[in-house]
Amino acid sequence: MIGTLSHYSGRSALALGVFYLLLATPIARDWLEASMSRHMLVQMPLLVVIGIIAARLVPGRMQDSLLIRLGGAWPCVIAALFASSYWMLPRALDAALTDPWAEAAKFLSLPFLVGFPLVLAWRRLTLIGRGFVWTNFFSMLAVLGWLYIVAPVRVCNSYLVNDQENAGWYMVIASVLLFFWWLGTLLVGGGVGPDKPDQSGSGRTFA
Amino acid sequence: MATYTYTPVPDQGAKAGVLAYLVISCVVLLLMMLFGLLMRMEQAQMISIGALWFYKIMTLHGAGMVGIVALAGAAIMWHFLRQYVDLSTGIFMANLILFLTGVVMILASVLLGDFHAAWTFLFPLPTTSMGMWSPGAAALFMGGLLVIGVGFVLLHLDIARAIISRYGGLGRGLGWPQLFGPDDGNAPPPAVVASTMVTIVNLIGLVVGASILVMMLINVYVPTFEIDALLAKGMIYFFGHVFINAVIYMAVIAVYEILPRYTQRPWKSNKVFLASWTASTIMVMFIFPHHLLMDYAYPKWFLIMGHIIGYLNTFPILIVTGYGAMMIVYRSGIRWDMCSRLLFVSLFGWAVGAMPAFIDGTITVNYVMHNTLWVPGHFHTYLLLGMVAMVFGFMYYLGKPNENAPDSALDVAAFWGFVIGTMGFTMSFLYSGKISAARRYAEHLPEWVPYDKIASYFAMLLIASVLVFIFRFLTRLGLASRDYQRASLARSMAT
Amino acid sequence: MSLAKRSVLISALVTSLGTWVFWWGTDGFTAFTAETARRVEILRSPRALPDVTLEDQNGKIFHLKDYQGKLLAVDFIFTRCTTLCRSMGMIFKQIRDLIPEESLGRDFALLSISFDPEHDAPANLKKYGEAYGADGEIWRIARVRNKAELQSLLDAFGIIVIPDQFGGFEHNTALHLVGRDGRLRLISDIDKAVPFAEQVVALL
Repeated sequence: MIGTLSHYSGRSALALGVFYLLLATPIARDWLEASMSRHMLVQMPLLVVIGIIAARLVPGRMQDSLLIRLGGAWPCVIAALFASSYWMLPRALDAALTDPWAEAAKFLSLPFLVGFPLVLAWRRLTLIGRGFVWTNFFSMLAVLGWLYIVAPVRVCNSYLVNDQENAGWYMVIASVLLFFWWLGTLLVGGGVGPDKPDQSGSGRTFA
Repeated sequence: MATYTYTPVPDQGAKAGVLAYLVISCVVLLLMMLFGLLMRMEQAQMISIGALWFYKIMTLHGAGMVGIVALAGAAIMWHFLRQYVDLSTGIFMANLILFLTGVVMILASVLLGDFHAAWTFLFPLPTTSMGMWSPGAAALFMGGLLVIGVGFVLLHLDIARAIISRYGGLGRGLGWPQLFGPDDGNAPPPAVVASTMVTIVNLIGLVVGASILVMMLINVYVPTFEIDALLAKGMIYFFGHVFINAVIYMAVIAVYEILPRYTQRPWKSNKVFLASWTASTIMVMFIFPHHLLMDYAYPKWFLIMGHIIGYLNTFPILIVTGYGAMMIVYRSGIRWDMCSRLLFVSLFGWAVGAMPAFIDGTITVNYVMHNTLWVPGHFHTYLLLGMVAMVFGFMYYLGKPNENAPDSALDVAAFWGFVIGTMGFTMSFLYSGKISAARRYAEHLPEWVPYDKIASYFAMLLIASVLVFIFRFLTRLGLASRDYQRASLARSMAT
Repeated sequence: MSLAKRSVLISALVTSLGTWVFWWGTDGFTAFTAETARRVEILRSPRALPDVTLEDQNGKIFHLKDYQGKLLAVDFIFTRCTTLCRSMGMIFKQIRDLIPEESLGRDFALLSISFDPEHDAPANLKKYGEAYGADGEIWRIARVRNKAELQSLLDAFGIIVIPDQFGGFEHNTALHLVGRDGRLRLISDIDKAVPFAEQVVALL
């Protein structure tokens, strides 16, 4: 595991920071936000992934103490749930395009309120917690996709109506594929997490 | 081939949680049976409750029965599975609490809100009430189902966690290394294999079910988000069929676990057994199209696939279980008591009950039979004489005072009352189906009424017998939680 | 405080904070799209509009301010449009026909504004107007020639125009009502022509 900030993880952090800034450049933003599918299914997931990688670069001990300060796994999961679903609102999508403050909020909240806390929480979640997060995510992604497909109106003023339908279909497809991938990991026995929920919230390593 | 020898394991008593599940199952089961009787008597024109109450009761009877057999099946599965893997009692109880919450929501929706669109909540009926019930009542009903579903998702996730950490993956829980490689005799016991299968299919079914429920909840309040009716029907039947099928695969664990204790012969997880469970894991997800064979708008390949897989899935587990039970009982000198009788008759009920479905799964038959009482005839046979018999067998097993305790004449009479009552009751369903009595009709043509009357009398016999079963179990609750030898050992006739 | 207690406390805190953000971000769970938000906001506080210079179907130059003191129905179109703008023409005609004749022109006027000034020269505007029986006085078809002015007008109305793949545009289509004070006071769906007209009559 990552014990201390090694030379290697220092370089990774730098690369990650550069990538984050690159995503924030007007060129990258214009291109990624030009279509609803790219906005929701490429840019936003990339921002979450940045948070995930950032959290993984934090040394294990620091992750543990941070998690304790944040009150354990569930506050982190709930924060991620709220932050991620907020950006699924068509209104939030539009706002990100027209209001620079909203755009800034998006660039900050997706990595730091979704990706980062999820990683912190993940190590403490058993299969029940993880499965709860996953199954919720799959069914809600599919339902959201369906909403975008059948919406009788253009939900985003900034996007073409067929773009909205495409994005919906991509979400449904992604949800089905991810669901089967997750079931696959269960069949071979991965992704289970710790066997018992950690009551103290701290691993033995921390004590 | 590996050799299997029987290693005696002590009969364990039930944890308080399992008993809570079973007591609630008894109460709800009895209530739902009385509801069923009311419906049959209304059709038989013996009473007159009116169409509104008929459909309200029908909705409750459907949702209640599906829920309660799932709860009872889960109790059996959990009781035996926890002897092999480390299950969480907290999650088991959380499921019960969520279940009861959902039941209260459903009861309120139907009794106070007049919701009566059948438990299948087929789109667009719940949202198209023509003023008979409010959107709130429909939402409460579907919300109740959603809450119950969340409870079962948690339970299955816990089972998945426990199986994975004990065996290293759900694939291993199904015994794939022994199925696809050399059989080293280390395949998981049948209880684990069955639980793994149920967990996989129910997780998939419940995620699909939750999705369609949320879609319909949105549609209730924002009707402009239209749902494709065929998609909705496909998703609902996928979820509903997988879920109701899974109950018998949970309950059959009682047969796998208890019969060997009577005859001291092992139930083998051999290659054939493993293959049939793996095959059914896949197939049980593709047989729901027999509910859709009349919907010509579906693609043809989809319906033909449903026809073929429906045929195929009828058999593997049924034959493997039936044959296995024969092998275990044959010349074993088994001592027949209430438990072993009920478990044995349950396999007969399962086999007999599957046949009408097999016939109904034929496309040309389905066109004329599916919307008749033939189909209730099918699922009442296999649920009552199959699944519910397993549950009562399990209850008699838990409550048996000692291994040599004789059954009273009343119990034996109740057993035959149960078998004869169920057969008579379901046969009149099937015969009414044959003469085209329509399904889900509050009022019947005069030609159909005699069979409704016959069915009502048999149903009364059945309920009277069940009352004996339940009374016996409740009076023996104190014994059910203790560990002692219950199974009557076979007289040593084994060869 | 034990960790379990703190966990519950912080979870509750995060949940209420998250709910509040949703409440705030959707105007109390009413406006999930920018389009609804725009309408809700206008209803709550009518919005001032920039005084832009327009050119009508006869090439006549006028200002938006010229309409002050009258109720003004506004919609946004481009004349090459083959879909919604066509029905918009019919809907505007329907609204005009629902207003009492003595009020037309005196107390109420209609204005269709093109956001495609490059293509929509007065001749094209005139053709569009004639197709729906616009008289050119009570109901005028106009364009804003100055790009910056056009953008400020669209922004004030909350109209977003994006080019589609067929050389035309996609835009949020609605019926707008500007009050006597020159402020935008009502936005409604295009299939609500009759209620819209009733609102106008009530204000006359």
